[in-house]
Amino acid sequence: MDSLLILKMILAALGAVVLYTFIGFIPGTDETSVLMPITLTVVLSGVEPIVVLTFFIAAIVTLNLTNAIPTVLVGLPGGVMSSPMMEYSLFLKDKGLSALAIKKMAAGSLIGTVISIPVALLLAHILAPYGENIQALASLLFFIGAIFLSLIGKNKILSLFSIIPMAILFMGLRHLYWGIGIVPRDKNITTSFFLGITIGPLIVSLLSLLNKRNRESMKVERYKRVVIPDKFAAGNAFNPFKILTKSEMGKSAIFSFMASFLFVLSPVGLTILLGETASSREKDPGKKATTGITVMSALVQGTYLSGIIIPLIALGIPLSPVSIGPGSALFNAPPVFTVNNNIHHVLTTWEFVFAILTGAVIAISITYYITNKLAWEISTFVLRKIPHEAIIGLFISLILLLSYMDAGLINVFGVLLIGITCGTLNKLGVNYGVQFMTLYAAPWIVEKLILL
Amino acid sequence: MESKNTMVEIWGDVIKIKDFIISVIISSIFTMGAYFLAPSGEKIRELFYGLLGAVVGFVVTNVLIKPKRVIIFEENLKENKE
Repeated sequence: MDSLLILKMILAALGAVVLYTFIGFIPGTDETSVLMPITLTVVLSGVEPIVVLTFFIAAIVTLNLTNAIPTVLVGLPGGVMSSPMMEYSLFLKDKGLSALAIKKMAAGSLIGTVISIPVALLLAHILAPYGENIQALASLLFFIGAIFLSLIGKNKILSLFSIIPMAILFMGLRHLYWGIGIVPRDKNITTSFFLGITIGPLIVSLLSLLNKRNRESMKVERYKRVVIPDKFAAGNAFNPFKILTKSEMGKSAIFSFMASFLFVLSPVGLTILLGETASSREKDPGKKATTGITVMSALVQGTYLSGIIIPLIALGIPLSPVSIGPGSALFNAPPVFTVNNNIHHVLTTWEFVFAILTGAVIAISITYYITNKLAWEISTFVLRKIPHEAIIGLFISLILLLSYMDAGLINVFGVLLIGITCGTLNKLGVNYGVQFMTLYAAPWIVEKLILL
Repeated sequence: MESKNTMVEIWGDVIKIKDFIISVIISSIFTMGAYFLAPSGEKIRELFYGLLGAVVGFVVTNVLIKPKRVIIFEENLKENKE
């Protein structure tokens, strides 16, 4: 490995840290929709796979910690993964303990990262010999995955019902594109369909504004009131061993260790489940809240890191919610990566370890520092200067660009169709995981369906 | 009374519909405009131009549109009470 490549990796990690620090501070941005399109762009830009991986790892580590900051500071969840912490965060904010809460979160995040990386690498090493067998069964496993995620989801029956219709929708569009010759027959449009699923709920919310009655119900009269707490009266502790109590530290470590083994489950579900288990033993409400947010921040890192590292190294197919959602561009981003030739196939074990460590170490050290020292300043800046309209506008234009590049104007509307369909299903309780798995299993489902 | 100034809450924050439409139009024009400026057929170049356009569009909308948030500092709240 030459020094130029190492330099590129460091720059990629730094770029991810800067970008996702700002995105993380913006309330309400969904992880999949901010991670997936940008990672995809990085992949398509043609940089070396090892640089892509470094970027992605740095991005998730940064985002997972910075997303927690608006949650505590102003009571708006930074993303999906910080929603489990809302209750505890609001409790601590009301007690005037925002600064302490942020420090605890940062320390928890640090522990989660430090514990889960070696555990995930070890698990990946153990699972790797089975990788090839598993790959051969990929389509079937995606189908089973869609069923499995349906059964643990919010709306089980509807999720099960929606699998085949969604598969037909995806394959229908592909056959249309092949039929009119806009896409060659050997090419499967996948990435822009992914984006359609990702942006679906937002599209449905936006389109429902066109309906007068819906608009009335979403209407607000006033600007969003955001109360920013005092600029920190929580001391200058920086050492995680001083910020956390022994019990908080121990629980964070044990639960992020456990979470690594459960990498096929939903990260937000695991964070709620294990986080609540950890805090339920505490009687004192203050301790319960600090334990809750510490362990949950550790879990957010743990579930995300193991959810991407294990499938990437051991399996080569995206068989976990993290890898099939936010991380999907690492597995499938034609023409650079395909299911049979992606980061899993092109990197050696040591390259994996090196990229993951570089990304994670750079990201966690900078964000740990930023969170401890600059959380207040950055939050105030973002909330004052960045309008929500501009952020949604940026995402819509990115989707527009990537859909157009995939298969021209007709695909812009194709993606809109997918957005409306999947977004509606999503609002009815069919989660992203089920939809992503179905997209992967679609060719197989249709193939088997006509045999019946 | 329906007006262009209707504000709604979406994705966890407040937007004004008129400003939002302006923002989508500006971002899209910059993004796709830059994309079509790129020499056609070179996918990576096109992507970069498009992204650059998106960033410029984002900066422009940031200048034109003001956030719909009232920022209150807790310090001031306390002072006012006293």
